[in-house]
Amino acid sequence: MSSTEQGTSSAAPAEPTTAPESAAAPEVPESFYYVHGKDKVVHKVSAGALQHSALIHGMISNLGYTEEQAKANPFPFENIDGDILQMVVDWCNQHKGKPTPPEDTNLPKQKEKLFDLVLAVNYLEIKELLTYCCKQVAMMVKGKSPEEIREIWMIPTDAEDEAAEKEAKKRAGKEAAGETAAAAGDAK
Amino acid sequence: MPFPILNTPFVVLSEIINILEPNEIVNASFCSNNMNRLLKNHYQRRKPLEWKLIMSNHECCGKVDIVTSKDDEKRMTVLSLQPYSSVWKSFAGKIERNTEFLEFYFEDRVMGSKLIVQYVTNLFNINVYGLDIDRNGIWTIGWINGWQEKALAHFVFRKIPYIIDWYGDAAIDYALRNARASDYYNIDDVVSNTFRFDGNLGPMKELYIPDGGHWVTLNNLINFDAIRIVVRDSRLSVSDLYTFIRYWLAGGSPRLTLLYLEFENDRSFENFEKQLEVVEKNVVGDYRLSDDEEDFHFDHGYSIQRKDGVKAVINFDIDHFVMMVL
Repeated sequence: MSSTEQGTSSAAPAEPTTAPESAAAPEVPESFYYVHGKDKVVHKVSAGALQHSALIHGMISNLGYTEEQAKANPFPFENIDGDILQMVVDWCNQHKGKPTPPEDTNLPKQKEKLFDLVLAVNYLEIKELLTYCCKQVAMMVKGKSPEEIREIWMIPTDAEDEAAEKEAKKRAGKEAAGETAAAAGDAK
Repeated sequence: MPFPILNTPFVVLSEIINILEPNEIVNASFCSNNMNRLLKNHYQRRKPLEWKLIMSNHECCGKVDIVTSKDDEKRMTVLSLQPYSSVWKSFAGKIERNTEFLEFYFEDRVMGSKLIVQYVTNLFNINVYGLDIDRNGIWTIGWINGWQEKALAHFVFRKIPYIIDWYGDAAIDYALRNARASDYYNIDDVVSNTFRFDGNLGPMKELYIPDGGHWVTLNNLINFDAIRIVVRDSRLSVSDLYTFIRYWLAGGSPRLTLLYLEFENDRSFENFEKQLEVVEKNVVGDYRLSDDEEDFHFDHGYSIQRKDGVKAVINFDIDHFVMMVL
C-alpha cells in the first residue's frame, strides 16, 4: 500500500484495493492485513511492508488468512497511539521491499513524538527503524556538556534521585504498615 | 525536545549507548551517579573489545584517548588534564569543557592524570593499551607497570618541541629498560652523541626510531627482538651491516621481516657481492610485507638465502639500507 492509500484508514476496515505494483511485481496477488492502534483507526498494510516488523511478521506467517478473515480481524495495538502507528505504517510502506539506506531521510520529523515512536518500534520489533531512531537520540547530545545532556535526556540529578528513593521507601513503608493493619483487622 | 532516556526499554538504551562515541559516553557519565552506574554496567556486559585506550602525558598535559578503528586512524580524546592556573587558586580543581571533551584542572598533575585514566578504564572496563609520553611523563611507566597487569601494546616516547641540546639520555635509558610494548615502540626523543643502550628490547612487532637513531649499535640490532625495525639517522657502518646480515644468515633475529635504515652520513656498499653469498642480483620490483603496508621499490637489489631456505631481498643506496625477509 502506498502512503496515499492510507487515506483509506477509517474506523472500520477499509475495502481491499489492489496495491499499485511495479513492472516486476510477482504474479501472485499481494496479501494485505489490518492493524489499529489506541484510536481504533484501521490501517491496511501489505504483507511485504509488514515484513519490517518481526512481531507482526511472526504473527501473520502461519495464519493463512483470507482477505475477508484479515479484514475482520485487525491486529489491535492498544498500547500505540494512532498517530504513532500511522508513522510506523508510513515508514514500512516507504521501505517495502527496498534495502534500507544507512541514513534515513524519511524519519518522522516530529521530535516530540520520538519517545513514543521508539517505544512502538521497539514493541513491533522493527529493527532498522529502531536503529534510525536510536541514531537520532544519540545525535541529540553531540557536542553537549553533561549539564546539557542531563536536560536533553531528562536525567535526574543525584539529589533528585536521592529524594525519589526516599519517597519510594516512605511509600513502601506506608503500604507495608497498611497491609499489616488490614491483616490485623482481618484476624479480629 | 527532551527525551527521557532512562524510561526507554533496556534494549533501546543499549542500542543508543552503542551508537554514542566514547567522548559522548564519558560526558554522559558525568550527568549523575545513576547514569554513571548504568553506563558502567553496560560495559561490564559488553566490553568494547576493539577500543584501545591511550594514556598521553606530554607538554605538561594529560589526556585519555580512545582509538575506535582497527587501523588506529580514528582516535579521539575523551578527557584531558590541563596545567593548573594560578587564576583558579581558590579552587581545588576545576572542570572546563571544549566542544568535544571535558578538561580537568588539577594542582597535582600526577594525581590528576592518574584519576582521569582510572575513571575511563573503570567506565569502559578496558585496560590501558598504550602510553604516549615525553620526558615529563616518564613517571607513567612505573605507575602503569605497578597498576596494570596486562602489558602495554603501544609506546611512544616523544621529543619535547622547541628544545635544542637538552638531551634525554637518562629518561630514554629508563624508558628502554622499563617500558614494554608488544606491538609498537616509538622512540623519538633526542639523546647525546655518547648515549648508548646496553640492554634488550622486545619482543615487539615494530620498533620505530623516526629521528636521532645514531645511538643504535650493531649489538642493539642483534639484541632487539622485533618483526620490523626502522631507524633514521643511523650511524651503523657498512661493515656492521655485513656482520648483521651474516648473523641473520646463521639464524639470528629469526622474527625479523623488515630492517630499514636511513643513514646520517652517506655510506658506500663496495664489494657487497664479495662479502656475502648472493643468490640473485639486480632484483627489481615493488615489495611489501602485507596488504596494508607501503611498497618498497627495489632497483638493483640482491637476494640472499638462509640455510633453512628463507630468502631476503636487500636494497641500498648511499643514504639508506633495506632488508625484507620474504
